[in-house]
Amino acid sequence: MTTTVTSPAVKAEGVWKIFNEGQPNEVTALQDLNLEVGYGEFVALIGPSGCGKSTLLRVIADLTHATRGTMQVAGLTAAQAREQQKYGMAFQQAALFDWRTVRRNVELPLELQGVGKSDRAARAMELLEMVQLADFAGHRPWELSGGMQQRVAIARSLAVDPPLLLMDEPFGALDEMTRERMQNELLRIRKETGKSIVFVTHSIPEAVYLSDRVVVMSPRPGRITDIIEVSLGDRNEDTREDERFFEAVTAVREALRGNHGGGSAIRSRIGEV
Amino acid sequence: MGQRLRLIWPPVVVAAVFLALWQGIVVVNDIKPYLLPAPSLIFTSLFDNVSGVFDATVYTATTAFLGLMIGIVIGTLIALLASRFIVVNKLATPLAAGLAAVPIIALTPILNNMFDITSRTPRVLVTIIIVFFPIFVNVTRGLTQIQPAHLELMRSLNASAGKVARLVRIPNALPFFLTGMKVAAPLSVIAALVAEYFGGPQQGLGARIASSAANTAYGRAWAYVTAAIVVGLLFYLAVLLLERLVTPWTGRARSA
Amino acid sequence: MSNTQAPVRRQSGRLRRGLASLGWALAGVLLVVVMWELVKVIGSLVTLPLDTGDQAMPHVWTMLQGAMQPEVRGSDTTVLQAVVSATLRSLLVAMGGFAIGVAIGLLLAVIMQRFWFFERGLLPFVIASQTVPLIALAPLIVGIGNRISIGPVQWNTTYSVMFIASYLAFFPLSVGALRGLQAPTATHIELMRSYAATPGQTLRKLRFPASVPYLVPAMKVSAAAAVVGTVVAEISTGVRGGIGRLVIEYAREMTASPAKVYVAVFGAIAVGLLAAALVAALDMALTRNLPKEHSA
Repeated sequence: MTTTVTSPAVKAEGVWKIFNEGQPNEVTALQDLNLEVGYGEFVALIGPSGCGKSTLLRVIADLTHATRGTMQVAGLTAAQAREQQKYGMAFQQAALFDWRTVRRNVELPLELQGVGKSDRAARAMELLEMVQLADFAGHRPWELSGGMQQRVAIARSLAVDPPLLLMDEPFGALDEMTRERMQNELLRIRKETGKSIVFVTHSIPEAVYLSDRVVVMSPRPGRITDIIEVSLGDRNEDTREDERFFEAVTAVREALRGNHGGGSAIRSRIGEV
Repeated sequence: MGQRLRLIWPPVVVAAVFLALWQGIVVVNDIKPYLLPAPSLIFTSLFDNVSGVFDATVYTATTAFLGLMIGIVIGTLIALLASRFIVVNKLATPLAAGLAAVPIIALTPILNNMFDITSRTPRVLVTIIIVFFPIFVNVTRGLTQIQPAHLELMRSLNASAGKVARLVRIPNALPFFLTGMKVAAPLSVIAALVAEYFGGPQQGLGARIASSAANTAYGRAWAYVTAAIVVGLLFYLAVLLLERLVTPWTGRARSA
Repeated sequence: MSNTQAPVRRQSGRLRRGLASLGWALAGVLLVVVMWELVKVIGSLVTLPLDTGDQAMPHVWTMLQGAMQPEVRGSDTTVLQAVVSATLRSLLVAMGGFAIGVAIGLLLAVIMQRFWFFERGLLPFVIASQTVPLIALAPLIVGIGNRISIGPVQWNTTYSVMFIASYLAFFPLSVGALRGLQAPTATHIELMRSYAATPGQTLRKLRFPASVPYLVPAMKVSAAAAVVGTVVAEISTGVRGGIGRLVIEYAREMTASPAKVYVAVFGAIAVGLLAAALVAALDMALTRNLPKEHSA
């Protein structure tokens, strides 16, 4: 027990991920990466396409293995953490099952854990209350809007009450208004549950608005180039107009432009964001 | 109930108008029955011989049903094997594609010789082979074309391969299976019917159509054809009903 | 630079994949041959529910020998020659029916796409007609055909066979073509509108090219349907010269020379495979400029 309290939520030490190692199409997705995510911390991973941010998230989740180095999650190896369900994950597509109702989708992780029928139904309803979708428990996923589907996916990722949430551009496919509402929703949930969160995104304002630290990555080879602390305190809609918010956005943008690995093409693309 | 009715009445009206026009054209132009018998002649032939048509229908429908059921079981089993073992997949896929291009019905005389020609067996076998292809292809597709995010989700939830099969692959394959059924069910009727053209017992619809046509009893031939059409439609409607029951979640975009 | 090389690599990859699946197909055929002989061996040891004797199930090599024997005693043509000529004749009839079916199917699809009234009115029946055994009409259609003549042209039973092949071919094609013609997105259609394109231009520049990915699979189904239609029509009508008729004729001689019917059945299979190969060639020609990763 004591180890899980003292050890960080995520700890990456010298992590490398090389695809097709030794072959002509070898790609270094992650190069000698070190990162620590503290308990209750919200960390955003940002960078251009191909910088390895999704790969990093997948190494944390044990969906793919590090070629070299160690990845610890809650003081366990990534594989143990997955086996013991120490994290919940949300993807860019909500990845809900059309053949299950909304409630039964949220129940899925509990079902796999062997939780009894009435217990898991009660827990799913509790979570649907939290994401304000209790009225839709009996609906099919495709009857819901994109934002609602993503809320169901978040409820599902919280089902086994894991200490860590891994989120891979969960709001990437949503329109700007829905996206901002979802960001507030996520912050509220975070406040209520005290989860540690690792959040992959393409959006600079999103990264700044949500997180305590923004990890800036650059491609070819994928690596961390900058880590920017964001101290905005409690967020609300006014935060988006706050001077300090714009300063942090500028800081992240400059950190992204400072990436020399990708050359001028990358720099100008980031400049347009 | 009212909704069902609204779905059913337009085709019924169109069919009624079609039949009325057909009748009118045949009567007004005095078209001879060997060219095109009037619907009234077809229906009187049908009712004059209602038990005969019924028996022939039952015979052919039974052949089709047996072939369809066994073909579904075999097609599904081999698809399950093919999704599990790459060698089975590599062997079965080009053979199945070949089967789809080939007039399998021409195998009937061989099967007639190998198995008892006086029995139903060769016809059921031909039906099985014909039904196999759409079932195999669609079920294989359904078992393997899974959203990558679904597989990642199941891995992140630490689900075993068996759980992935039960909770993801099989539900994912069900709509594909029913698509295969929608192709296979009418095919089974066609196969059972045409297999009768190659000799053997004469009590089925195919044999009766051929012999009535040969005896210039055109009204009767068309009556048997009508029965064959009804059987084909019933098989298809049965699959549609099954689809409603088994995969209610596909109601949104059935055409897609 | 990599842009100029990519298509070449893609083509050779396609060829390699094609050869590999051909290899697997041959392995599959070999497996069938081995199982055939195995069933014969097992049948000679224990009683099976089927006749595994040399008459009902000749050895594979007996079939090959049978192909080389004269068709009837003393004739110059071998069974193989007779089967090959019947195969080609049936292929020709089937492809004729296929071409007519494609032409009518395309025309119908264009009409249904252009006028909503025809789509509402015809499509349910086109779909329903795929669920009913229209082939049951074959004996009747030949009966009709034998009694009509158009001007000086006496109706030939071969035309009846081609007619049956074409009507079986056109249904799947018209449905696939309609789906393809309706495939362009609203954005594409609005783009054409913004250019003030005429309906004809939209059809030629947008709808036809967009329908190709739908057309090709529909053509495969149609070609197979035309082949089945041809063979069944030949069988149920007794039209001479085609492979369907030959299968029936040789089946009657099975007691005397069991191998013959097998050679004819292989001929029927060859008609199907050749038709599929022709459609595949057509596919290559139509889709050579399209990305090949649809299914991935």
